[in-house]
Amino acid sequence: MAIARRKFHGTVFYNLSKAYNGYTLFTPLGEKEVILIDMRGRVVHKWQMKNPPALHGELLPNGNLLYSGQKSDGPLASFFGAGGELVEVDWDGNVVWKYEDPYLHHTFFRLYNDNTMVLKWVEVPKDIASKVKGGVPGTEKDGVMWCDCLQEIHPSGRVVWEWKAYEHLDPEKDYICPLCFRDQWTMASSIEVLSDGNILVCFSRINTLAIIEKETGNIKWQWGSGELSHPDAAVMLSSELPSGEIWERGIDRRVRKGDILFLDKGLHVKNLPLGASRVVELNPKTNEIEWTYLENPLPDFYAPRMGNCQRLANGDTLICEGDFGRIFELNPYKEIVWEYVNPYYHRFPFYGRNNYIYRAFRYGPSYKGLKGARLEPVK
Amino acid sequence: MSIVRRKLEGVTYYDPAKAFNGYTLLTPMGSTDAWLINIKGEIVHHWRLPYLPGMHGTFLENGNFLYAGQTKALDPALKQVGFIVLGGRGGEMLEVDWDNNLVWKWEDHYQNHTFARLKNGNTMLLRWVRVPNEVVDEIEGGLAGSDVLESGEKVMWADGFHEVAPDGRIVWEWLPWEHVNIKDFSICPLCTRREWTHGNTVFEMPNGDILTSFRSQSSIFTIDKKTGKIKWMWGRGEITHQHDPSLVDNGNILVFDNGNHRQDGSGVSYSRVVEVNPKTNKIEWEYKDDPPGDFYTSIMGACQRLPNGNTLISETDMSRIFEVTRDGEIVWEYISPFYNDCYHDTFGRICQLFKAYRYSPDFPGFKGKDLNPKNYAIENRLLGPDAWENV
Repeated sequence: MAIARRKFHGTVFYNLSKAYNGYTLFTPLGEKEVILIDMRGRVVHKWQMKNPPALHGELLPNGNLLYSGQKSDGPLASFFGAGGELVEVDWDGNVVWKYEDPYLHHTFFRLYNDNTMVLKWVEVPKDIASKVKGGVPGTEKDGVMWCDCLQEIHPSGRVVWEWKAYEHLDPEKDYICPLCFRDQWTMASSIEVLSDGNILVCFSRINTLAIIEKETGNIKWQWGSGELSHPDAAVMLSSELPSGEIWERGIDRRVRKGDILFLDKGLHVKNLPLGASRVVELNPKTNEIEWTYLENPLPDFYAPRMGNCQRLANGDTLICEGDFGRIFELNPYKEIVWEYVNPYYHRFPFYGRNNYIYRAFRYGPSYKGLKGARLEPVK
Repeated sequence: MSIVRRKLEGVTYYDPAKAFNGYTLLTPMGSTDAWLINIKGEIVHHWRLPYLPGMHGTFLENGNFLYAGQTKALDPALKQVGFIVLGGRGGEMLEVDWDNNLVWKWEDHYQNHTFARLKNGNTMLLRWVRVPNEVVDEIEGGLAGSDVLESGEKVMWADGFHEVAPDGRIVWEWLPWEHVNIKDFSICPLCTRREWTHGNTVFEMPNGDILTSFRSQSSIFTIDKKTGKIKWMWGRGEITHQHDPSLVDNGNILVFDNGNHRQDGSGVSYSRVVEVNPKTNKIEWEYKDDPPGDFYTSIMGACQRLPNGNTLISETDMSRIFEVTRDGEIVWEYISPFYNDCYHDTFGRICQLFKAYRYSPDFPGFKGKDLNPKNYAIENRLLGPDAWENV
């Protein structure tokens, strides 16, 4: 444990006049709680869950928590992000909805029609897998290469739409990062269903962001291979914020609507082997990078495996540097106006004692999901 | 700047019963100062350099300070696009006495990273050499096409050695393509082909062999000076992008394993210091932090075995130097406060340290020298223990 770096926990910096006032939700990996804190770092609500996260919980506009849980006996338990169940609980922790599939992993998205888009692993047919380029030779999992499948689940549990990556990707062009294993082709790390119904996906292992056309299943846009180093948490900026919140005065005009905001984790960077991540805002119409955040000094922001970014109603960006349990808010002038370090540690096999977080979200006081909620510091 | 990461400076932990009490030499890469501090972090001596370090300096047994400086001028023949992007540039060797008077100097625009003062009084330099075109195509690996300039010309640089006598004669030279088996020296798949080798260490073995480290091959090896042949090589598949191998008392080789571009599927970036037995090629000791990600530097990094069996480690990216016992317990930790006006094109406002050295109080170079921190009362008030906000 680095002594100086690990000395401070909780809210370590807070600029009252500049930071976006609200509540921050995060799920300490390995533990079975989802935590909601105020700006001063005081816990205002906690959800106790049955299983550890795979890998986070989110507060829905309806006030419930949607949580991805990790079943210990999953068939692909050794893969990072392996889950197995999605659970929706109310404010007091009562289970309201549940969906199980042993191949669920990483993340999910609750649509406005109450369906849930889920992510699961499927085997790549051998004749396709052998053509997939890239990766370290001979590192398939027991000879099998897995890839991602998206499914839209109706509240009744029915699968109403499905999309398999191997049916739409090109084994030669969509090659695996040369330093990664061939046990997974794509390793999707985030999904967002856009307002037009199409789906924005981050395929981390092939360094690609893609928009899937819902009606046809075709990939209508993709970018990143050869440019990125393991992207995650892609969201599209629009005139609407996650429901209930509105852009603060004047910010709406400055939002580059249609841009994609994502985290480029930087684990396997070409040329100079830097240990640094960046937050990028990309214009998918021109494939130009419109805004980027790199810390100064560079190595001070490094989230090689987990983290996310969220644009807030005041124009700031909430960034989660998950590998170090650090969440901070950055204003458009790249000033840190709030910084918090997760105090909840867990001991992982191989990875040691960490305060890992996969996702963090900030909800403003006007967020629909917090309507009527009791938000006083919990003892 | 990560607020929590950079909040504390100076000595942040010290166990007097376990740490090796001595003096630590620092040459922060962003400034033209070299500092000698005692175990409590008080400044006891200072040298003012004419250049930024390229990349560091070392304190000699004769009481002088020998360092490489990053010269601003470049030999016009070197002003090719393919050259300037290479990291680790030096350019001039300087040796000064305790009072900063110049004693020896040697200019070589191709000098990079490091050097070693040999037992015979000569200085061994690591320097860039341009790979002949007919050899470039034989070298495998790296990002395809990255060795070709816009003009279509192929440019690939590698590292060689010069042994320079005090009177300026070059008494020994070594070029990699004349002695290595090119098949064993392919480039890491994610690295540029502008550089074949990216050497970063010069270490003299007791029998005169030169121990060095080529980052692009993730390999360390010894060169027999008499024949130029490689006697022992190790590393690929075990360590990645390593720095600073050295010989320790029991005959093993200590090396800093940076760990980037590691192909282990873990998704975690971590560094470690390993001790390998050159007779068996087995790792006999390793230091890794818990959690492993807490100790990581993507570039540079150094390690030094101390007389009490502990190891002093320089974690460059985090401006951090720390001492660990054989059991992996941290007994001294220091975060460098020497940012000065440094601003690196890629890394920003960073206080990187290529290598820090710890010297025992009875080191011959200190004989007759005044190491009283009161000589630097003003500097200590600004940068010493009284200035730190340590908890």
